Amino acid sequence: MSGAFEKLLWHYQHRSAEALAQHKAGMPVVAFTSSMVPWELIRAAGCFPVLIGPDLDVLDKPTPLADSLMEPVFDSRIRAIFNDVLSGAWSFLRLLIVPRTSEPENKLYLYLREVTRQKLCDKQPPVHLYDLLHTRSSISRKYGIDRTKDLMQRLEGIAPISSKSLASAITESNAARAALRRLQKLRQGEVPRITGSNAHMITGALYFMNRAEYAKLVGEVCRECKSAKPLRGPRLLIKGMPLHHPRLHQALEAHGAVIVAEDDWWGSRAVEANVVPGRGVASIISAIFENYYLHTPSPRVLPAAAADRWFQDSVRRRIDGVVFYLPPEDDVYGWDYPRQRDFLQTSEIPSLLIREDAFCGLSAGANAQIRDFIQKIRRSRHAARV
Amino acid sequence: MPRASEKQLESTRASSEHQKTWFAELRRNVFDEKKPYAIAQADMPLELFHLLGVPVVSNQWWAAVVSAKQLSGYFFDALHAAGYHEGLCRYCSLSLASSISGDPAKAPWGGLPKPALLAARLTCDCIQRVFETWAASFGAEFIALDSPGATHLPPRWWELSRDRWRELYEPHRLDFMVAQFGVLIHALERISRIKFSPARLRSLMEGVNRQEEYFDEVRDLICSAPQTPVRMNEQVINVMNAQWHRGTDWAVSHARTFRDEVRHRVEQGIAAYPGEKLRLMWVGAGLWHDTDFYTAFEESLGAVFVWSMYLAFGPDGYIRYGLDDPLRALASRIVSMNEQLHNPPWANEWIVDQAKRHRIDGAVILVPENSRPSATGTFFIKHALENAGIPALEIWADMVDARRWDGASMRQRVAKFIETRVRRA
Ligand code: SF4
Ligand code: SF4
Repeated sequence: MSGAFEKLLWHYQHRSAEALAQHKAGMPVVAFTSSMVPWELIRAAGCFPVLIGPDLDVLDKPTPLADSLMEPVFDSRIRAIFNDVLSGAWSFLRLLIVPRTSEPENKLYLYLREVTRQKLCDKQPPVHLYDLLHTRSSISRKYGIDRTKDLMQRLEGIAPISSKSLASAITESNAARAALRRLQKLRQGEVPRITGSNAHMITGALYFMNRAEYAKLVGEVCRECKSAKPLRGPRLLIKGMPLHHPRLHQALEAHGAVIVAEDDWWGSRAVEANVVPGRGVASIISAIFENYYLHTPSPRVLPAAAADRWFQDSVRRRIDGVVFYLPPEDDVYGWDYPRQRDFLQTSEIPSLLIREDAFCGLSAGANAQIRDFIQKIRRSRHAARV
Repeated sequence: MPRASEKQLESTRASSEHQKTWFAELRRNVFDEKKPYAIAQADMPLELFHLLGVPVVSNQWWAAVVSAKQLSGYFFDALHAAGYHEGLCRYCSLSLASSISGDPAKAPWGGLPKPALLAARLTCDCIQRVFETWAASFGAEFIALDSPGATHLPPRWWELSRDRWRELYEPHRLDFMVAQFGVLIHALERISRIKFSPARLRSLMEGVNRQEEYFDEVRDLICSAPQTPVRMNEQVINVMNAQWHRGTDWAVSHARTFRDEVRHRVEQGIAAYPGEKLRLMWVGAGLWHDTDFYTAFEESLGAVFVWSMYLAFGPDGYIRYGLDDPLRALASRIVSMNEQLHNPPWANEWIVDQAKRHRIDGAVILVPENSRPSATGTFFIKHALENAGIPALEIWADMVDARRWDGASMRQRVAKFIETRVRRA
């Protein structure tokens, strides 16, 4: 693939690089720990927004700083973030925003606050809890808008936010959204023209880059892909614990699958609808809030019917099979599995459950299961054609 | 020396008696007469259910009943066979398992009948799933209280919780909780056809204050007496039953009787275990399936468990003065309940303070296995205790599934800890 793809891939792999470069160039940098934090607000405060990845190459490295304070029950991503912050790698941040996307993140916030209080680390950036709740009720909605205003106030401590700076941040972010939607179309169209693993990495780069440049590069990749060789193979959707690495995709693709979507904020659900701003700061803030509240996946969305909607709609759109990914460290998504598996059964869509950690490499047994699963889909697709 | 299993206090017997009568009544109402009832998490505002006359079966209590009938293994296996993997939290899911997997008729008393309502506070990310799945299986309504995050974190929260709860628990969190209470109250009113009355809530809350003040006195007596007048096991029985019925006439008068009896014992110089040489603290939920564990180190090592959160949390976590807006006061009691016990800085600071006040020589910290999300905060607790010069031992154990509890080896570990670390300190 082209230079545009290589650049995107580079940012996906070197997740803090652009933030550091921006910092060195004198731009204030504000980080967040998952996709639920309004990028537009940070941008409107004149800052460079970045997700704390962490980098892929630290994920299987020891985390000694985190381990003495954080119980083994935390998943590897949260632990790696904690370790990274304690190491001083993010000391240049003006602010670290932790959203209440999950309980482990809420605890991460509390642990970071405690580290500061006990003066256990002197290189820690200030932290802010963005307490966006995910129950779908008018009470939680109002609470979320108010917390979004609080966040704005906190960011205004760095630089003032105006309706103009908000509008331009929204334009920048919407351009990236539009580019990503084009990419999704290429994956999900009649004949996919980009592999799932590549699309997934391109999507993930969104969190580490300048969005104007990102939109431009993704646009280039999309143009090139139009003339790429069509991919033929069973069309799969991945569901389960969020995947911040491409290894499960790659393992499935090695057996001839085409991953067309994943119900996960690192993949197909990184962005959905555009932010549609009204006039004046208040209405822009509520449009931003609304977008994140209604369209960003979180394990705390309630009721389940709302949480399942995207998945149920997506599998009806030409999906040949679903792979559920519940690695050993999962202690949440497994609750949803029987319900979603049963839904697929009634829709006559085959599914496969993977209970191993794909980051460390799947066992021969899991690979054999994947092979059989894909062959079975192939056979039934063939039978349906004749 | 008193036998390890003996109940030393008259109030303990009275408390168990009352609980039996209450169980029988609940069983008659819910299981025999099929009156409307609710299933709720134990950290819900039980005051509202009580006030509006809706009997509550708590998830935790029903799990204990299922466990006591040796059925936890059967239902967990069935839950697993239904597709729920074994890494999921067990503590809160046994009751659900008894309703949706295996043969539900095998559950005690023929299983839980359909409730009018299920209700839970969304602390961890699993509990909404447990309750929603459960509610769907019954075709019943589920009311969730979402859990806004604390950002104002003064470490010595217990010094503020009685009088300055309005600021301690943050106005926006209280507004949110009160608004959610409105939804719950509405549902309870519909079920019971009783109208909510703030005045009645106020007087119930005043009762809770009186009750907890008695417990506060008991705690002071335990702190200041040369040896503990009441074993941890008996503290728990007396406190738990009263907390469940908190604020009612029975609970207040029971707390007073308990206080009187403990005071009398102190005045008479009666120790729970006269050979007490070392004082231990139990951090975490109780080991309900092996309560003898708590007296197992008395004879051999003179080590007596004198503290668990159950008594101490009453006065610090429940008392609220200034009840002009009783619903808001109640919201402040609920909004951080679990957080005070499991999250830094609140849990570690409080436990160290308790350890000092109780002249604790060593602490045993239970980290629940297989209820992973509730195992947090324990490292901060351990470090804080050790930094304060109090040796602490962590033990990882399953609180629900008795099959996985190896009582003998746990006793050995704790005994070794006492011998090698507590005695020397
Ligand atoms: S021990 Fe913790 S999780 Fe368990 S009931 Fe008490 S507060 Fe809740
Ligand atoms: S984490 Fe705590 S509240 Fe949640 S399901 Fe487990 S034991 Fe229950």
